Amino acid sequence: MRRPFALLLTAFIALGTAALASFQPTAEPTSSDVTDILVSRQLLESQDLAVGDLIDLAADPTGARARAFRIVGSYEPLPDPARFTQQRLEVRLHLQDMVDMLADPADPQSGESVSAINVALHDPEREREFRRSVFGQVPGLSVWSTQRGDSANPFVVLEQFHLAIAIVTILASTAFLLALMVMRSEERRETAGILRLIGLGKRRVLTQVLIEGVIIATVGAAFGIALALVAQSGFNQFFQWRYDTALVFVRVSPKVAAQCVALAVPLGVIASVVASWTLLRREVLALLRR
Amino acid sequence: MNSFYFAWRSLFRQPVRAALAIAGVAAIGALLFDMLLLSQGMLISFRDLLDDVGFDIRIMATASTPISGPRMADAAATAAAVEALPEIDAVVPMRIGQARIVGPDSVNLTLIGSVTSSRDAWTVVEGVDLDAIVGSDHPPLVINRNVAEELALVPGATVTVRSECSERYSVLPTVDFVVSGIAEFPFDPVDQMTAAVAMPDFDRACGSVMDEADVFLVASRAGEYPEMAVKAITRLRPDLHAYSNAQLVDRFQQVGFSYFRQISTVLATITLFFAFLLISALLTVSVNQRFAEIAALRALGFSRRRIATDLLWESILMVGTGGLLALPLGLALATWLDRILKAMPGLPGDLHFFVLHPAAVATYVALLSTAGVLAAAYPVFLASRLPMASTLRNEVVG
Repeated sequence: MRRPFALLLTAFIALGTAALASFQPTAEPTSSDVTDILVSRQLLESQDLAVGDLIDLAADPTGARARAFRIVGSYEPLPDPARFTQQRLEVRLHLQDMVDMLADPADPQSGESVSAINVALHDPEREREFRRSVFGQVPGLSVWSTQRGDSANPFVVLEQFHLAIAIVTILASTAFLLALMVMRSEERRETAGILRLIGLGKRRVLTQVLIEGVIIATVGAAFGIALALVAQSGFNQFFQWRYDTALVFVRVSPKVAAQCVALAVPLGVIASVVASWTLLRREVLALLRR
Repeated sequence: MNSFYFAWRSLFRQPVRAALAIAGVAAIGALLFDMLLLSQGMLISFRDLLDDVGFDIRIMATASTPISGPRMADAAATAAAVEALPEIDAVVPMRIGQARIVGPDSVNLTLIGSVTSSRDAWTVVEGVDLDAIVGSDHPPLVINRNVAEELALVPGATVTVRSECSERYSVLPTVDFVVSGIAEFPFDPVDQMTAAVAMPDFDRACGSVMDEADVFLVASRAGEYPEMAVKAITRLRPDLHAYSNAQLVDRFQQVGFSYFRQISTVLATITLFFAFLLISALLTVSVNQRFAEIAALRALGFSRRRIATDLLWESILMVGTGGLLALPLGLALATWLDRILKAMPGLPGDLHFFVLHPAAVATYVALLSTAGVLAAAYPVFLASRLPMASTLRNEVVG
C-alpha cells in the first residue's frame, strides 16, 4: 500500500502567506483579471470581510504592487497543534498567483521559484537514498523529512509530560485510597469479628471484601470516566474559545478509558484487600475488642 | 493537655492511616507546587535569559519574531542613528541565516552575522573572539560546542562554508573561514549548530553587500530606563518596532507557550479541589468513627470550641506535615518534569519551565492552608453540633 511520505525541500510551504502579505478591502476591481481566493474564517471575522468582497493583496508591507482578488469562500484552517497559539490569518490562492505576487522584478528566476516542494515517496524507506540523489543533482537544496524521531516530536514530549502528571496523581490517589480503606476496615472491625464468630472463615470474609472492592472500584472508575467526559467538553470549549481554533485538546478515547479502568479497578481492589487483611489476620476476640 | 498535643495524639493514634494521609497530601502538594512553578517559570526563565545577554532592547522591522519577518534596510546608517541617541549606549546589528559547512562531514547550521563590538551576543569559552584575529588568510568564525564536537574542530581549524542566505534562488560559492573560538550562544537549543561571523564576512558569504539586519541588539545607557530608550527610538524611527526586555516578556506571555500557563492553572485548580475533597473525606470519616469519643469528651467538660480547635489542629498537622514534605518532593518532581519538557525541539538550552521563586512558595502555602482549613470546616461542624446524650446512648450504651 502506498503511504504518503513528504519531504520538505525548504522551510516554508506555499500556503499560509498572510504573515508576508498586507491586504486592504477595495470597492472596485483594480484590474480586469481579478482572481479568486479563499480566506480563513479568522481573517474573515477579524477584518469584517464577506464572501464576494474584493480585496487588494500585496507582499510588500507598504502595499506596493498590490493585486485585486475576489473572496469566493472561507475555510477553517487545518488545526495545527504546533501553531494553536497563533492567530490563523491566512489566505489560499493559486500557486501561480502567489509566485507572480512575490516575484522580484530584478530577478527573473524568482518568477519560476517556489519556497518548498512536498514530495511523497513510493517507498518511504528509501528516504536517505532520495536525499542523496537530490543533493547530488541539485547542490544547495535542503531536504528535510517530515517524519521526526520521537525525541524531537513536541507532541511526544507533551504526552510524556501528561503521563508524568498522571503517575503522580495516581500515587497521591493511591495513598488517599489506602488511608480511606484502612479507616473503612477499622469501622467494620466488629462486623468482621461477628462474621468470624458465627463461623465464616477468613477466606470467606476476604472474598466478600474482594467483591465489595470490585464493585466500588468499578463504580468509581465509571464515575471517573463520566466526569472526564463532562470535563472534556468544558475543557475543549474553553481552549477552543481561548485560542480561536478547532483543535481538540482533550479526547477521552476508548483506549484512554480502558487504561483508566485497567489502573483504577485493580488499585481499588488491592487497596480494599490490603486494608482488610491487616484487620482479618487478628484474632476474633481482638476484633470484638475483648 | 493543650489542643495541639491532643490533635497530635489523635492523628498518630493510627500511624498507618496518618502516614498514608500525609503521603497523599505530600504527593498532591508536590503537584500543586509544581503547577505554581510552571505557571510563571518560563516567563522568569525567559526574562533572565534576555537580561543575561547584556542588551535590554531589541529592534525589528515588524512585530514578528526575527527571521520570520522582513529585514531592516540601511542597517549601518540606522544603527548609527540609534546609537547617537543620548539614551543609548550600544547597538549591535545582527543577521541570521542558514549555512552549511561542506566537506566529508558536513553539517547544517545557523549562521549569525554581527557587527563586532565590545558587547557580543555570545560568550567565548575557548580560543578568541572574532575581532582578535588579525592578518589571517581567511576571515574568522566562532562556533558553538555542538559544531566543534560534531566536526572535531578546535580554534585554528579551517572550514568551508556555503551560505544559504541568498533570496536569488541560486547556489552560492563557498567561503573558507578560520575557527577563532568556541562560544556559548544563550538562545541556542540543546542540539543547535551555530556559528557567528563578522557582518562584512556574512555579506561575503551571502554573495552581496545587503546592508540589512534582522534585529538590532541595543543596550541603553546606564541609569536610563529601557522603556524611555524605546520611546526615543520610536520617535526617531516610527517605522521600526523596538521592545524592551519587559515588553518582549509581555509578548511572550501572550503567545509563546501560553498553553503551559493555562494548563498549569487548570491542573492547579483540579489538584487543589482534589486535595480539599480528600482531606475533607478523611477528616469526616475520622470524625464519624470518633462520635462516641467526642461525645464522651463533651460529657467530661470539653467545650464545642475546644472540640473544633482540636479538629482544626488535626487538619493543620496533616496538611502542614504533608505540605512541608511536598516542597522537596515538588522540587525533585519539577526537575524531572523540566527534563521531559526541555526535550521539545527548538527551545534554548538555558530556558526552564519550572523555576523556584518566592511568590510560588507563598501562593502554595496560602492555597494549601486555605484548602486545609476549608476541608476541616464540615467535620468541625459535625463534631461541634453533636448531641451529647443521644450520641452517648447510641454509640456507647447501644
